[in-house]
Amino acid sequence: MKNKSLVGSSTTRREFLQGASITFMVGATGIIGACSTNSDNALTELQLPAAANKEISPNAWVTISADDSITIMFAGTEMGQGSMTTLPLVLAEELDADWENVQVDIVSVHDPIYGNPIRYTYYGFPILYTAGSRTLEAYYPVMRQAGAQARKFLLDAVAVEWGVSVSTLKTELSQVIHIESGRALSYGQITALADVPESLPSVDESEYKSQDQFRYLGKDITRVDVPGKSDGSAQFGIDAQVPGMVYASVLRAPVEGENPLNVNDDMARAVDGVIDIMTLPYGVAVVGESVEATFSGKNALEVTWSTTSPFRTANQNQSLDAYEAHAKDLTFSTNSPLWQNVGDIEPAFSAADNVIEAVYRTDPAYHAQMEPMNATANVSDDGKSAEIWVSTQTQSLSIMSAADTLETSIDRITLHPMLIGGGYGRRGEYQAKYVDDALLISRAINKPVKVIWSREEDVKDGIFRPLAAQFMRAALDSEGKITALHQRVATPSVLSYYNVPRWELSERRDGISMNGAQTTRYDIPHIRAEHLIMDRHSRVAAWRGVGSSYTRFANESFIDELAHQQGADPLQFRIDLARNNPDGKEVLEEVGRMAEWSRPREGRSLGVALSDYGGASVAAGIAEVSVNEQTGHIQVHNYWMVIDAGFLVAPRNVNAQMEGNVIFGLSNALKEQITISDGMVDQSNFHDYQVMRIDEMPDIHVKALINTKSPSGVGELGLATTGAAVANAVFAATGARVRELPLTPDRVLAALLG
Amino acid sequence: MASFTINDEKIEVKANPNTPLLWVVREHLKLTGTKFGCGVGQCGACMVHVDGSSTYSCMTPVSAVEGKQVTTIEGLSSQAEQALQKAWVSEEVPQCGYCQSGQIMRAADLLKTNPNPSRQDIITHMRTNICRCGTYNRIIKAIQRAAEEI
Repeated sequence: MKNKSLVGSSTTRREFLQGASITFMVGATGIIGACSTNSDNALTELQLPAAANKEISPNAWVTISADDSITIMFAGTEMGQGSMTTLPLVLAEELDADWENVQVDIVSVHDPIYGNPIRYTYYGFPILYTAGSRTLEAYYPVMRQAGAQARKFLLDAVAVEWGVSVSTLKTELSQVIHIESGRALSYGQITALADVPESLPSVDESEYKSQDQFRYLGKDITRVDVPGKSDGSAQFGIDAQVPGMVYASVLRAPVEGENPLNVNDDMARAVDGVIDIMTLPYGVAVVGESVEATFSGKNALEVTWSTTSPFRTANQNQSLDAYEAHAKDLTFSTNSPLWQNVGDIEPAFSAADNVIEAVYRTDPAYHAQMEPMNATANVSDDGKSAEIWVSTQTQSLSIMSAADTLETSIDRITLHPMLIGGGYGRRGEYQAKYVDDALLISRAINKPVKVIWSREEDVKDGIFRPLAAQFMRAALDSEGKITALHQRVATPSVLSYYNVPRWELSERRDGISMNGAQTTRYDIPHIRAEHLIMDRHSRVAAWRGVGSSYTRFANESFIDELAHQQGADPLQFRIDLARNNPDGKEVLEEVGRMAEWSRPREGRSLGVALSDYGGASVAAGIAEVSVNEQTGHIQVHNYWMVIDAGFLVAPRNVNAQMEGNVIFGLSNALKEQITISDGMVDQSNFHDYQVMRIDEMPDIHVKALINTKSPSGVGELGLATTGAAVANAVFAATGARVRELPLTPDRVLAALLG
Repeated sequence: MASFTINDEKIEVKANPNTPLLWVVREHLKLTGTKFGCGVGQCGACMVHVDGSSTYSCMTPVSAVEGKQVTTIEGLSSQAEQALQKAWVSEEVPQCGYCQSGQIMRAADLLKTNPNPSRQDIITHMRTNICRCGTYNRIIKAIQRAAEEI
């Protein structure tokens, strides 16, 4: 299992054609390992006589080799969510392939044929971008079609060869079998019979397998990346090793927008192993023979920075107060199209018997992905071509932005997509600063270079879930029925910083900032959600759950407030509101049963929240907490979550994602806080940006409903229930409403004091 | 020059004595299974064994392991250690996987001194290691499974 050369020898012609890829072999013991391949190795194989290793590709997604191995292309990226196994498994299912002989290649090119078909078409064609929990949902039909089409091609080829009708044949585990005689040809053998025709057979959905025929889907197949992640052989971005490579580290401006004015590098140059020091527009780079030389050299730099950046005046409470004032001022608008507009709220508010209002404030959050930002680049002598090794959530944007940086064309960028040591949105931005570091330095020194950010740089130069203040209001009629709901979200546009090309095509509709601000499961006749685009006071990014971790904190806390205002049970209140939404109603009812909602419990209280994600998926969560009213400390004892995400392609993995979402969400809800003072990030590492550890985790109880609907996303599902569920439980326990996230002890105490 | 034993092999490394063992292991010796997480002993991603005990390699200068036995994830070989790695696959512990080498090194340390740990023993011992993906439940299960098998 540890012999990487086993995998290295599996390099195929396809990889040569594509420049580079990472190959994962599935064997009897699971994955054997992973390694990046380079075109030199592949060239050797390409020179072999073609017949000795014939392979055919019935379509862009699958290649069948004479030796019976099958390569399936994976167009997403793998950051622990499991898509690198799930998508190829869907294809293998319809192909009726023997999974033991399948290897998975990560697509490394920016080619619309591999683009995410339902979502990411901001550039006129689909791009490769793994985000928003839309990978399985988007590619499920594509993988089924590709697998079924390849299978049909193989059947047709054998029917012709044997002079029989296709209806007399069947397939099983990478074989075509003549039903009556039992005569069989392996898929590998068929490569000698047929070439791929000009036009491929089309397959109707009715010809797909039915769910009861599935051999792999709905079962627990070991993820291809798991064995390598259990023996140290998995290759993440930071593990890239390139012959002749040197290292670099960049000292960045303490405040965004400042530049180095004067650099004294005498001491740094004297550090053993430092090769060169160069000034970049945004910092000073130290190049060295080793990581430690670059870190020591960087510490020895003396730099005078400019002091003119407008971000110098950014201070958290001041910014948040300004956001709040804008949120509450109903005459204020930033001319964004309404995020959601159902009915007409204005007459409803005018006619209301009672109007309830509340403001919710949330601090920025850091991804705290375990793998610090890093990239390796090798730029050609002319400065116009490059190879890059990077953990990225998006092959397309990495290639496009690298081409922008080198002012070259995308065909001159060769990407080696590596495994991702934590994504959560951190590795989905358009212009990745860490990639720019590696490109600019490699171009300047004419060598391959690996840049590694320290954890402190990763925090200080982090891109964060944005600061937000939200104004919620509801109109109630004389019977206490909610007639209108209005959510005003004052927060920066994430897209306008994080992904400028997409922002330019967005018409000021920011699907990252506003994610989760829509109310789709409750029967409320008039709904409006709107974005008030604030000046950003820090760098901003998509964060796990995208906007929903703060938008749902607001709207699901507020629904709770409305329930209590009516003297209603908060769970039953939601179930009643979801009366016309069977999925939402069902997850609420089921999570209530699991948590034994009505059972009195000594010293502990429950809170509930509902959150859909990405359209089709929906989750309900219940937190059981106790509150120390002396210290303000919240203890979460149990968390129950029920989801409906359609057919469960990989049930065990779904449960893993649910548990992860609960922990990630609770960690944020209870503890995580980025603050900005004078334009600088106050936190620097895991001691002052604490994330949940194993001994802080509650007992977690998850259940995914079983059904036959098309699968939808789970990677971020339910995370957004956590903040509101805990805050609602705190209210149930104490009568104090905490409207600021995270729910830190000082805020709980302040709320207790009223 | 530092000389020590790594994964049963005696080696000499040319490095400044203050160099964190982490960088010697990862970038000088190319044993990249050991990960850089925080550099300050807060997350545990860098854990290796020094003379059999789990140690933050990011906080350990290479001079401190002179003449000692260093084991990395690549060098785990005892029955218990291999049972642990197998349990990690059986329970499908890793998500992004970046912290898991450190988690396994830490868990191996536990099983060496406490072959039948209680759930609470496991939780107390493993609190040194952060997993951002939230695989903690499966870490507990995998350690319990490995303990049962050995």
